[in-house]
Amino acid sequence: MADRILYAMYDDEEILKDGAKMLVAKGVKVEEVFSPFPIHGIDPIIGIEQTRLGIFSFIYGMIGLTLATTGMWFFMIYDWPMNIGGKPSFSYLENMMSFIPITFEFTVLCAAHGMAITYLIANRTLPGMKSQNPDPRTTDDKFVMECRTSQNTQFSADELEKMMKSTGIIELEQKDI
Amino acid sequence: MEFKISKKAKTFTLTLMVIGLLFTGIGIAMHSSDHHFATRFLSNGLINSLFFFSIGLGALFFLALQYATETGWYAAVKRVIEAVMGFIPYGIGFLLLIFIVLTIMDGAHIYTWMDPEVVAHDDIIKMKSTYLNKTFFWIRTVAYLGIYFWYWRGFRTRSLEEDKVGGTEIHFKNYKKGAVFLVFFAVFSSTSSWDWVMSIDVHWFSTLFGWYTFAGIWCSSMTVIVILTLYLKKLGYLPKVNDNHIHDIGKWVFATSFLWSYLWFSQYMLIWYANLGEEVIYYMMRIEHYQVMYFGMFLVNMVFPMLLLMSRDAKRHAGTLTIIGVIILIGHWSDVYIMVSAGSLGAGASIGFLEIGMLMLMAGIFIRVILNNLSKAPMTPINHPFLDESIHHEI
Amino acid sequence: MHKEAAIREPLILGHKTYHDITEDVCKPIEDKAPRMWYILFGIALVIGLYGVGCILYLLGTGVGVWGLNKTIGWAWDITNFVWWVGIGHAGTLISAVLLLFRQKWRMAINRSAEAMTIFAVFMAGLFPLIHMGRLWLGYWVLPLPNQFGSLWVNFNSPLLWDVFAISTYLSVSLVFWYIGLIPDFATIRDRAKKPVSKKMYSILSFGWSGRAKHWNRFELISVVLAGLATPLVFSVHSIVSFDFATSIIPGWHTTIFPPYFVAGAVFSGFAMVQTLMLVIRKAMKLEAYIHTKHVEYMNIVIMVTGSIVGTAYITELFVSWYSGVEYEAYAFFNRATGPYWWAYAAMMTCNVVSPQLMWIRKLRRSLIFTFVISIVVNIGMWFERYVIIVSSIHRDYLPSSWSMHYPSHIDIGVYLGTIGLFFVFFLLFARYFPVLALNELKTILKSSGESYKNGDAEVHPKPKPLAGSSLVIEAEVETKEKTSEISTEDSNSTNPAGELLAIVGNSSADSKNDLKVIKGIGPKLEDTLNSIGIWSYDQLAKMSKNEYSLLDGLIGKFAGKPEKDDWANQAKELMNTNNQ
Repeated sequence: MADRILYAMYDDEEILKDGAKMLVAKGVKVEEVFSPFPIHGIDPIIGIEQTRLGIFSFIYGMIGLTLATTGMWFFMIYDWPMNIGGKPSFSYLENMMSFIPITFEFTVLCAAHGMAITYLIANRTLPGMKSQNPDPRTTDDKFVMECRTSQNTQFSADELEKMMKSTGIIELEQKDI
Repeated sequence: MEFKISKKAKTFTLTLMVIGLLFTGIGIAMHSSDHHFATRFLSNGLINSLFFFSIGLGALFFLALQYATETGWYAAVKRVIEAVMGFIPYGIGFLLLIFIVLTIMDGAHIYTWMDPEVVAHDDIIKMKSTYLNKTFFWIRTVAYLGIYFWYWRGFRTRSLEEDKVGGTEIHFKNYKKGAVFLVFFAVFSSTSSWDWVMSIDVHWFSTLFGWYTFAGIWCSSMTVIVILTLYLKKLGYLPKVNDNHIHDIGKWVFATSFLWSYLWFSQYMLIWYANLGEEVIYYMMRIEHYQVMYFGMFLVNMVFPMLLLMSRDAKRHAGTLTIIGVIILIGHWSDVYIMVSAGSLGAGASIGFLEIGMLMLMAGIFIRVILNNLSKAPMTPINHPFLDESIHHEI
Repeated sequence: MHKEAAIREPLILGHKTYHDITEDVCKPIEDKAPRMWYILFGIALVIGLYGVGCILYLLGTGVGVWGLNKTIGWAWDITNFVWWVGIGHAGTLISAVLLLFRQKWRMAINRSAEAMTIFAVFMAGLFPLIHMGRLWLGYWVLPLPNQFGSLWVNFNSPLLWDVFAISTYLSVSLVFWYIGLIPDFATIRDRAKKPVSKKMYSILSFGWSGRAKHWNRFELISVVLAGLATPLVFSVHSIVSFDFATSIIPGWHTTIFPPYFVAGAVFSGFAMVQTLMLVIRKAMKLEAYIHTKHVEYMNIVIMVTGSIVGTAYITELFVSWYSGVEYEAYAFFNRATGPYWWAYAAMMTCNVVSPQLMWIRKLRRSLIFTFVISIVVNIGMWFERYVIIVSSIHRDYLPSSWSMHYPSHIDIGVYLGTIGLFFVFFLLFARYFPVLALNELKTILKSSGESYKNGDAEVHPKPKPLAGSSLVIEAEVETKEKTSEISTEDSNSTNPAGELLAIVGNSSADSKNDLKVIKGIGPKLEDTLNSIGIWSYDQLAKMSKNEYSLLDGLIGKFAGKPEKDDWANQAKELMNTNNQ
């Protein structure tokens, strides 16, 4: 089935939000919203779940913590114990004070970078990627809502268009694919 | 909305006090003939007076901080903070009582520098006696307590007045007074901790000590504030307080716990690393005689809040917050307990009926005073200029 | 929506729209660089290259070309290192700590402060590297298997902690900064006209499209990174302080060092931010975004951290006496009155006394004064490190080893060179990167923009349904029903609106006057008045004290305005002129 994408453009995020609320109430599936900045409160309206990046970050941090601890235990206690500053390296516990700074740094290092990489991959925003916003103005002061006919089969394309037009839009663009 | 102390709360605080009194009585009966009884009894008095007074003081500091930084979100819980800081005059009373008794008893082996006989045989104390002597100690103590009392009264009076007259004049006055109070507090929080606590281990010194104590005070106060807010919210007294406010105070508990742990680590690690005799003696004493309690208290104060309050949901969950809060409070009480007891009683300290009894008695009085304070003012500061901002607080 | 109390000063001045913000930030990047930029860049480049020359000479000859000696084995190198790391603390503090504290004013300055952080840490990292002498063997600081079997680096050493701390800090700051930059690069990309710059910004922006899901992740990652970066900021300078404090040298070994170094770092960092911001706002015409209030906030931070540092100085001094340890007491006595008294005096004046002037509101809101103080503080903080490092070691335990430090011209050349290189980087940043977090700024426009706070911003018209559609008619019916409900409510005189209308009379959209003509009424307030049921001058003219107070209760934050601007009289006059 041929798919038609409707891009409705707004010039205020509050109007877009009201419009999205109205459309969703009528059963329209809003596919995507493009905006120059995060719109507070749009996520629950168009059904975007809270991201789980935070949990990932915690896991990466734990990996860093484990690596740092085992690493320093191996280097300083197991593999080549040395008496440094009158503190013989025979036990990890007794020397732990010296290991805490690096353990902390390495935990943060892994958590931050792991999460940042996950973020970029999840977003599909990587060097060399092509931008996908339908209109260059959406990174300036315009807001675009995207609906697809294939996801709103209960409405005809005309109905969808009319509904979108009634929400205070300033422009409507359509694209067949 | 006016707050009324519920029957349950009345019975609870009364029971605490009665059991506390009973235990204290048993403790006295059991140990009154011990050699170190007076020191032990007064140590406990000092520990509890300091601990609960400083919770009130922490609340006063926190309020001044909110004033000086023109923060908005706290307006809805302002009365809770005020109630906690309302313990200040009582705390001052307890502290003065203890200090008077200690001065009369020449320090009672707690402040050994008050004892002329000890000073005569100790060159280090003799050298310090320009600073550590009874007269100067009292001048400083009166200055600290006087200023704290003065600012407590000013903030409270103006806050109640704002309810009546409104406008922005009081707000801007508080802004200025808050900033000036912070200056006093910055100096006094350090010096008073040297005078009242660090001088117990009279030979020992640490530049970080004041800030470390302050972090503990701040953390305990935030914990009390969060527990009290949750309690009041559960009873329906704080309809304007939403999850976001709880989350914010939860974050403070988390952040101050982290700050405290950071300062604990800094002080401990540096002294451990340099391994200088005059410094490590302090920790040697604590590790030899209080090992489980000392490291246990550190783990509790650091690991519990860090692991359990890391997630957003935990900071919004009343049950989690309350349980962690109570544990943290016990942890910080232990910190104060070891600070004082290891210096005054050393190896001879132990926790028995006396310690638990006096803690319960004081806790009962503390809770009752706070609840009483709550009932003296409306729960919402209606004319606070940031109230609207606070009600719409959302994160 | 986020509410902001009326008594707060606006953060964005003037009549700005979303598009204006984009324009204001992107213009300097898209236009030709002013001649001044080339001049400054040239100067910075020359100084920077001179510094590079000095470094090359040093690497070729050996560390002996520095003015170090047997007693003073650490002087300018480590002083400069700590100074630069300290400066590098403000950026992440501004973006991370202030983000956690929800300080909206940070949005105007965080981008360039973070850039400053990164460049400052570059400069800092240079010193330990060149101090190694054989720079190309720098990788030896990493725990790598090597030809001596399993000889590992010493994890007990604070210097190794530094390696981990600084590199973590640098890379995490870089990531934090770049993640915020991506959406702004996308804005520049979508505006770019020249193919080369379009291509460049297209690569830099990673194909960012501003999807709702991406923004959702963006907000989360910002908060989590801030949460990670905050303890990181604390840890980094604490670890730098451990370099000294773990030793047993009197004057270095003191427990207050970690938090006091952190406070000092924030102090000097904010001073550097002030210096740079005051120039940038002027040169790039960003006065509407970085204005007196921002400067005042930063000055307060400078004052607070300066006071903390001052308290720490006094604490150290007092405890050195209180400790009863002879060496300890001598180190501080000598610091203040010995041959380096002038450095100590400079440190005390610049760091403790000068920020106290910020208590005076007039001074902390004065831009020229702020600029001067910010430079004074930077000088003072350099001296602080010099005092701590050199004055503590120049009197060795053996009097025969007593010594003084005199910097060689290579010392000076390397130091000046890092300043030059720093400005080379910063000027390049200001030329090609958005210096304000422009898209983040847009989120606070409505709550903190001056025109929005006053209620005279252009508010977009409510959606007008397009004619000729059955669905639309339905919607119209719905709205009509709603309005009629409201009006029936209004006629009940139990509510203030009804009471007010009972006195001033009912009216409707048909007899609408342009209320915006009245001084004190903007489009937003007009909408509010209309929704109450006030449409005409006639109604306003009938108002007096009692009605004003009823009205005050209905218009929220604008309360007090009707009486202050005397709407009734204004309306009467307007009616008269209209009748004539």
